[in-house]
Amino acid sequence: MSDYAAGVRRGGPGLAVWGMAMLVASEATLFGTFIGSYYYLRFGAQHWPPPGTPEPRVVVPLILAGVLATTSLPMQLAAMAARRARLWAARLLLVWALVVQVGYLVYEVHDYARQLQHSAPQDNAYSSIYYTLLGADHVHVAVGIVLVVWLLWKLLRGLTTYRLGAVQVVAFYWHAVNLLTLVVVGVLLSATL
Amino acid sequence: MLLAGCGGRQDTLDPHSHQAGDIANLFWVMMAVSFGGLALVTGLLVFAWVRRRRRGIGGDTEGPHPGERTGWFVVVGMGVVFPLTVIVALFIVSDWAIVNITQAPAASSTAMTVEAVGHEWYWSFKYPGTKAVTADELHIPVDTRVNLVATTADVIHSFWVPELNRKIDTIPGQQNRILLYANQTGVYRGQCAEYCGLQHAHMGMLVFAQPEAEFRKWLKREAAPAAAPTTALERRGERLFLDGACSSCHAIRGTSAKGYVGPDLTHLGSRTTLAGLTIPNTPSYLARWITAPQHFKPGNQMPDLNLPPAQVGALVAYLESLK
Amino acid sequence: MSAAVYEERLERMWQSRPGVLGWVMTTDHKRIGLLYFWTTLVLFAAGGAEALLIRTQLIQPNQHLVGPATYDELFTMHGVTMIFFFIIPMTTGAFGNYLLPLMIGARDMAFPRLNALSYWIFLGSGLFIYTSLFLGMAPNAGWFDYVPLASRQFDPGHAIDFYCLGIIFNGLASTLTAGNFIVTILKLRAPGMSFNRMPLFCFAFLAASWGLLFALPSLSADTIFLFLDRNIGTHFFDVAKGGSTLLWQHLFWIFGHPEVYILIVPAFGIATEIIPAFTQRRVVAFPLVAVAELLVVFIGFGVWAHHMFATGMPTVTVIFFAAATAAVVIPSTIQVFAWCMTFITGNAQFKTPLLFIAGFIFMFVAGGLTGIMFLAVPFDQQVTDTYFVIAHFHYIIFGAAVFPIFGGMYFWFPKVTGKLYFELPGQISFWIIFLGTNLLFFPMHLVGLAGMPRRNYTYPAGLGWGADNLAETIGSYITTVGILLLLGNLVVSYFRGPPAGADPWHGATLEWTIPSPPPEYNFAVIPKVSSAYANWDVEDREEDRRRLAEGVMVLDEGHEQPVSSPVDGWFAEIAEMPHDSLWPIVLAVALSVVFVLLLLHLWMGTAFALAGVMLALLGWHGEEPEETDA
Repeated sequence: MSDYAAGVRRGGPGLAVWGMAMLVASEATLFGTFIGSYYYLRFGAQHWPPPGTPEPRVVVPLILAGVLATTSLPMQLAAMAARRARLWAARLLLVWALVVQVGYLVYEVHDYARQLQHSAPQDNAYSSIYYTLLGADHVHVAVGIVLVVWLLWKLLRGLTTYRLGAVQVVAFYWHAVNLLTLVVVGVLLSATL
Repeated sequence: MLLAGCGGRQDTLDPHSHQAGDIANLFWVMMAVSFGGLALVTGLLVFAWVRRRRRGIGGDTEGPHPGERTGWFVVVGMGVVFPLTVIVALFIVSDWAIVNITQAPAASSTAMTVEAVGHEWYWSFKYPGTKAVTADELHIPVDTRVNLVATTADVIHSFWVPELNRKIDTIPGQQNRILLYANQTGVYRGQCAEYCGLQHAHMGMLVFAQPEAEFRKWLKREAAPAAAPTTALERRGERLFLDGACSSCHAIRGTSAKGYVGPDLTHLGSRTTLAGLTIPNTPSYLARWITAPQHFKPGNQMPDLNLPPAQVGALVAYLESLK
Repeated sequence: MSAAVYEERLERMWQSRPGVLGWVMTTDHKRIGLLYFWTTLVLFAAGGAEALLIRTQLIQPNQHLVGPATYDELFTMHGVTMIFFFIIPMTTGAFGNYLLPLMIGARDMAFPRLNALSYWIFLGSGLFIYTSLFLGMAPNAGWFDYVPLASRQFDPGHAIDFYCLGIIFNGLASTLTAGNFIVTILKLRAPGMSFNRMPLFCFAFLAASWGLLFALPSLSADTIFLFLDRNIGTHFFDVAKGGSTLLWQHLFWIFGHPEVYILIVPAFGIATEIIPAFTQRRVVAFPLVAVAELLVVFIGFGVWAHHMFATGMPTVTVIFFAAATAAVVIPSTIQVFAWCMTFITGNAQFKTPLLFIAGFIFMFVAGGLTGIMFLAVPFDQQVTDTYFVIAHFHYIIFGAAVFPIFGGMYFWFPKVTGKLYFELPGQISFWIIFLGTNLLFFPMHLVGLAGMPRRNYTYPAGLGWGADNLAETIGSYITTVGILLLLGNLVVSYFRGPPAGADPWHGATLEWTIPSPPPEYNFAVIPKVSSAYANWDVEDREEDRRRLAEGVMVLDEGHEQPVSSPVDGWFAEIAEMPHDSLWPIVLAVALSVVFVLLLLHLWMGTAFALAGVMLALLGWHGEEPEETDA
């Protein structure tokens, strides 16, 4: 047995978090280009949104984005609980986050469908970028929900260093998505300014 | 067989305007400096080969970094200071001085306006203030500042007559302008310079710079409606043109032909070339074009009509009469 | 316990499965590198064939070898193939994968299964896009695919959909590789290899990886918008409905300009390792060169609109981008003179690899000088979209990317195969390629200045373009002969070359400390590192031998790899690396299905295929590393 390394053996969560950081950097840049395109199109337009296309609602989306952002708290607490091997605390915190996230997504999908009855992405460039940017954010929220469900399933069989890494990585992902959602909602609502 | 378009070259180094001249002179200077730079680096590599058995520079030959001090001097001096100086000088000359005469001219500083519209795959030219519309061959008065407004009817094209000025892209939704100015009478060749589909290669144009009086005569004739046919053959050709498929794509002002897909043919007879400088404008080439345009410009919008030769003959007679 | 016993244990621990299955399931960076190498050579041949057809069509005015429709597919596929399916995968996928872990003293990449996934996605994207060629519907709007020409109105059919989806698909592979490289370079360096003790090769690949990570999303967004415009009816680029034609160009070049630095910076990395070996001298002004490699990519993100000087942007915008373009020259000139001074102050041995690097410097400077000319905006506006710019970028791409790739093939051939290549045919292949490429690309400057635009399937007689075109075509044939000689030399040397041993060149970096070819586990003992030229640090190498004999830093308890801190390289922990796995190829196949269904507009099917992707991901993460203490 190689004695020099004996004391520092672990399953390697650190690298996974770095990997998630790479994914977040790439996705953030993708959204950055979507947002850049939004403003490029906006500053080339006389009226934004163009006449005939409804302006976005302000208050409800902002509040909801804020509510979603609060799930960063249980996600982070879950990661910290997992690190201290408090398995049940971690599970409950994840369930709390999941309930809010699912509630958010269900409402948003319903609202997306409602908006499609009044305007379509095929109407003009504004609606094209609006629905694409918003839809992309919802997709990232949906993926995040799948990740939390997967985590809960993994944690059914207990905690290991690998699964601790998984909780940390998914928490990181959710912090990124929450921040992203706030930014995206802010950008879309800036049309009313 | 397919000629250069009967006159005119596209040589950026044979300038015929102040703008093109400044750009050409700029190039010669840059080229001289560049050859110097390339010679220097090549010289260093050859020098490295010549003294390949010696390490270091001068007395500094020991250790893992022999000649490092001299190395740093060269890297900072030749790699930072010298290029920075050259680049700043180049930037000032080209992007502060020259650029102001090659960017869009102030409309008030120009004497007249021509509108160039790019189509797949020909150029139409209009002279605002007159009814003149023509295609592929543009006339301007010599020594006159012409405001050229470039737009497109479909995809991105690029208006480029190298001996007169830089190119300007035609972007949907945008009106781009450059100065067109020729300091000498003559014919100058240009070509679309932004890939625009199958026949991008055959979207040439000619600019005829004429003395003012001649230009005015040309413009007056060009603005006038089409000449009426005088011979029986020409009349037959006119009938065939107006009753057949031709008039659905082409316009001949003064007749009922008002198609706008293909170029305006009102004064086709006075043009020197056909089909974007693909072939010369002679009766024989025109006949071959009308019979089988896909042979000369495969993929272009004019289909092979497979008309009987007698009809083609009449059409050619009519069109060539439209001077 | 002796060294031999440790080596035998490591051998057993890291062994691949035998046979084809071992290759299909591999997560070993060396095997993945070799898979990339062979696949990109095939695609290089395809891109080369496209080039030869183009050149033959243009040998004289008014030729009829191919018609305009085919020609348009040829030049589009040539550009797409050479950039996305040759240079990037050859430098990052082949050279990067094989060599990076070796250079930093690691046993594999940070994410070995992800690495394998990158390869299978790359292969899938290559098959995807070349299917379009075989179906006669290859992309045909140029490699930068401007709208409106690429919109459904002007390009109906599937060609541009192949382009959009193929580019996104291929981009996934490069993004995953970039992330993998960044984490590997930052976290898996051998303990003691602080950031400033990395080989310059690593700086170059780190810079290129950051570039890929931040540039590719812009291209993905662009192609997503175009796919939506073409197939769902959105209006991102439709001026009539508030969209913008130039939005395509901006998003494209925000990717496209960093991309060209991403193409050449890894090649700089290759050059900066060949030079020390064949001059037996550390690179002059190492810190400046390292910073320059990072700066080239960084500044390269700020210059994109210099590809759009003729589009009618406001003068102030144009001048800003010209100034930024000026800034990016300096890191390149720093490197050129550092390399030249290393040549001069070292004992330059002009064996084949160094010949290619000398050729690279010549071609890169020539191309760079014409690049500097382009920052003179009025001159740019004369010669952009002509053969002058084709000359510029081929001098740079062929000179600054392909020459080091060829040099690198010769340089590392002994390490990968254990054999030496034959030197005389090597040198001859260099000279033929050098002469051929100059004959091919130099006249393009002249013919561009004489007014010949690019992307013309033919040109008229009487404009003075025929002689130059003829010379270029002959140059293309000569270049082909040289490349065939190079490849033939390597093949024959593989079978008949003399044994090379571990270190035929007395190279500077860690890969020369291990046998040729390297064992599966790379390093029996994790090396002690005190500089960027570890193979020349004799005392450290002796320390390694002592440690191996004592079993220190051998890490043979599992599939083990040390993880270090990103800046100082302090030992942090031990990571358990995954073994061979089928999940990468399974996931790649699932993704391929998604893209095929998108191409066919089967949206419901796509949703199911995405579910399949999720299932594959679930299966992938069902494998957990062994726990020894939870």
